[in-house]
Amino acid sequence: MTDIAVTDDVRPNETVGLEKRRAWVSVLLHVLLIGASILMLYPLLWMLSASFRPEEEIFSATSLIPSSVSLEAYPRGWFGLRVDFGTFFWNSFVISILSVIGNVLACSLAAFAFARLKFWGRNFWFAIMLGTLMLPYHVTLIPQYVLFLNLGWVGTMLPLVVPKFLAADAFFIFLMVQFFRGIPRELDEAAMMDGCSAWRIYWRIMLPLSLPVLATAAIFTFIWTWDDFFGPLIYLTDMRTYTVQLGLRSFVDSTGLSDWSGLFAMSMLSLVPVFFFFLFFQRLLIEGIATTGIKR
Amino acid sequence: MTTIASPASPYVPTRGRLARVLARNGAGYLFLLPWFIGFLGLTAGPALASLYLSFTDFDLLTSPRWIGAANYVRIATADPRFIASMQVTFVYVLLSVPLKLAFALLVAMALNRGMKGLPWYRAIFYLPSLLGTSVAIAVLWRQLFAGNGLVNSFLANFGIEGPSWISNPNYSLYTLVVLSVWQFGSPMIIFLAGLRQIPQDMYEAASLDGASKWRQFWKITLPLLTPVVFFNAVVQTIEAFKAFTPAFIISGGTGGPINSTLFYTLYLYQEAFGFFRMGYASALAWILLVIVALFTAFSFLTARYWVHYDD
Amino acid sequence: MTFRINRRGVLAGGAAALSASALGLPGTAFGQETRLRLMWWGSQPRAERTFEVSNLFMEETPGVTIDGETVGWDDYWPRLATQVAGRNAPDIIQMDYRYIFEYARRGALAQLESYVPDTLNVSDFDQAALDGGSVDGSLYGISLGANSSAMMINMAAFEEAGIEIPDNSLTFDEMKRIGEEITKAGKRQNFYGLSDGSRVEPFFENFLRQRGKALYTEDGQLAFDAEDTREWFQLWADMRESKACVPPDMQALDKNQIETGMVSLGHAAVSYAHSNQLVGYQTINKDPIVMHAYPRVAPDAGGGHYRKPSMFFSVSAQCENPEAAAAYISFFVTDPAAAEILDVERGVPESSAVRESLAPKLDETGRAAVEFIGGLGDLAGPLPPPPPLGAGEIDKMLIRVSEEVAFGQHTPQSGAEAFVAEAESILSRG
Repeated sequence: MTDIAVTDDVRPNETVGLEKRRAWVSVLLHVLLIGASILMLYPLLWMLSASFRPEEEIFSATSLIPSSVSLEAYPRGWFGLRVDFGTFFWNSFVISILSVIGNVLACSLAAFAFARLKFWGRNFWFAIMLGTLMLPYHVTLIPQYVLFLNLGWVGTMLPLVVPKFLAADAFFIFLMVQFFRGIPRELDEAAMMDGCSAWRIYWRIMLPLSLPVLATAAIFTFIWTWDDFFGPLIYLTDMRTYTVQLGLRSFVDSTGLSDWSGLFAMSMLSLVPVFFFFLFFQRLLIEGIATTGIKR
Repeated sequence: MTTIASPASPYVPTRGRLARVLARNGAGYLFLLPWFIGFLGLTAGPALASLYLSFTDFDLLTSPRWIGAANYVRIATADPRFIASMQVTFVYVLLSVPLKLAFALLVAMALNRGMKGLPWYRAIFYLPSLLGTSVAIAVLWRQLFAGNGLVNSFLANFGIEGPSWISNPNYSLYTLVVLSVWQFGSPMIIFLAGLRQIPQDMYEAASLDGASKWRQFWKITLPLLTPVVFFNAVVQTIEAFKAFTPAFIISGGTGGPINSTLFYTLYLYQEAFGFFRMGYASALAWILLVIVALFTAFSFLTARYWVHYDD
Repeated sequence: MTFRINRRGVLAGGAAALSASALGLPGTAFGQETRLRLMWWGSQPRAERTFEVSNLFMEETPGVTIDGETVGWDDYWPRLATQVAGRNAPDIIQMDYRYIFEYARRGALAQLESYVPDTLNVSDFDQAALDGGSVDGSLYGISLGANSSAMMINMAAFEEAGIEIPDNSLTFDEMKRIGEEITKAGKRQNFYGLSDGSRVEPFFENFLRQRGKALYTEDGQLAFDAEDTREWFQLWADMRESKACVPPDMQALDKNQIETGMVSLGHAAVSYAHSNQLVGYQTINKDPIVMHAYPRVAPDAGGGHYRKPSMFFSVSAQCENPEAAAAYISFFVTDPAAAEILDVERGVPESSAVRESLAPKLDETGRAAVEFIGGLGDLAGPLPPPPPLGAGEIDKMLIRVSEEVAFGQHTPQSGAEAFVAEAESILSRG
């Protein structure tokens, strides 16, 4: 998009040399980035090759190239458990999308209050909110389980989704607070002068101006919910309600017989939705320029 | 509030005050309502329950038995693994957080330019973070850092014979630091979002004034990015203190070799679910909470000197 | 025959459930079916077999539905503990030899002896198999298969080094020599004869039993002393010294999983595992794997091994219809059709009738597992006293202390003293 240096104030006779230097910098950057990409892609390539190769090669082989290639692990993995992976993908998808909606709505409401509104006890509640980030979940697990059990929610996706609509994830509130506070205050003060309500300021000014952070929250929520296995492990008991991650973990048992290539085949597939969700939503990150680049 | 003695009429000022209190606070609490419901209904109860459990002997299967502060006393006086896990965790936090943040910011800056293929780079750089808890990570890290791993084959080119990094108690923790830095995707994305929020016209104005890029970075980018830097620093520190999965995956849940990767929460997990001491684990958790809260409070106190908000 | 007993049992169970619903408990009403939740650990191949047997059971016993839940070993225990703590335990629980004592002593499991023999037909089980599932005199678990600790040997690596697979007269001295020879042969890169066994608790136990000791006494105290431990650590220190076994930073890659064992990683020709894991070892190893008993401390010593249940089915103390649960377990371990589906994937079946009917249908690895258990001879001894609370923690501690010795932070002497002192403190804490 717009490159900062394009507007550099340079005298005409230096322009050509500068252009050349910029081209070099660009090439160098690409080389560096591609090099880094390979480093980043290595695990993926390894997993891909593990999903094709004979089971007995997976742990001892050091080369990326399998001795023989077989696609068999994919259908075997897909239909390997009594419930097929299509169901798991659908469950994961529903839970993740609902979580995204819940988190973006509820956390932005709370963040707006903390960032922009003045009320009694604001700092106190903010500290408490941050405090909820700090307790390791292993010790709240059982009390929470008992709570959800009494609500009759165990075995359904409610314990995984409802907390998102109640802004239980303090990480995102804190994230949005930081971004809201970076938005020029003159904007909402002007609106306030015009008699806008807090709701209108939130809805008409804050949210549109915060697309980058909302996209960030959406991306993280989707990916983290998709990757989460501990919550589903505890709350989803019926295999028909399993998520992809739970399904994946059903392939391996470190004490017995495991289907490793099935695991890696399905792991590859499980990355596809998150990868594309990421690719799509990061557009909003970029479009952020257009909106936040508002003239002040 | 209504009991405050006042020489004026007992009704009018009170109602006026209530109205004023409502007017001043109402909107804030209204916006916070979902969070309040969630906090009181879902979060506070279990948290308090764990606080109660920390004063009990609770083996998960039978009812908790009140034992006063005995768990805390034992942690403070007779628990070598508590000390070992604290040391491991502090080293991990102090090394991994700054490295990860610096790396994430560097890559975010490099990616915040007009370039071809940028979305793909971003996605690829985020990939390691996508793999999160996959068993593939455990295998991969062994292939990289074992005695005959890729890292040592690389070092062999320079005549260096490296140790088995991942399974040597002197080095294994550092392979987990590397893992943490390698999964720099989340802070990178947050930095990117922060960079995107900086109005372009500020740079344009600065270039017109003849400011070099270096100067622009120090005078515009970094100050305007401080809220995001602050956020990442605080959150990453909290997360690093609570780090569990990396050690769980790489060490197979043991924290070995010889306690060298015994993260605090891994120790807590072993106590709770491995050895049926949920009461003790709860006490460990609340000690961690206090430590992390002190760290966070300290960050917030210093923040006023270096974090720039627009308000 | 068995089926009729089962059905009657289930009917009785249905009646019990009826009275339960009359008391306002959730669950069955008249005409509705009994639902039983069954949870086990294992991977997908085990899941397929288990679901198939459950379907078979449901066909044979109308009115009972089995809901299966399965997760891997690592995930299983936090999930089970959470459910039990939340009073929402599955009705039928797959149990491990180590955990059954923890769960039974804390009242989480139902006593099963009142269902024997009418509902629960274990008449042709060995007494040892029943004893293995008993805690403090009551039956809490029905063994799903016999098992023993064993050495996994990479046959190809032995052949390359020109060494024959030894017979059951193998001693520690000979094993050390074999290890050295394989290492010296140097046919493979980063390859040694043996894994370091000092951290393997069943191996240590075997060593102790051959010396007339044990891990624990009947009343839950240590049944060995620092001198036994010192000799054990010294034995392995000598192995490391002479390069008969792998160096410590290689052994530390082993996370007690099949896939991280030294044989699977291609670092040693011998690993230590359990006999029911042979199938798992063979799947991820290209070379043929054979099982062998642990070596003898002296040519005339023996009795170190014992047949132990690989895993159990237990019934939750919270189960509303234990009769139906017992009927399912009985079907699972005695029905010939079920046995054929289950194979020896969970270990060698305990029912002699099932073993006989299964014998001709076994594949090579399955047969090897059966033969190994059957062929231990004088190497096998009686079942040891049950492990006390805290035994699991001592198991983990042995790994740590043996690593401290191997990496030189302890001498065998100081390591042994530290181990015994810490073990005693764990036992006193309970």
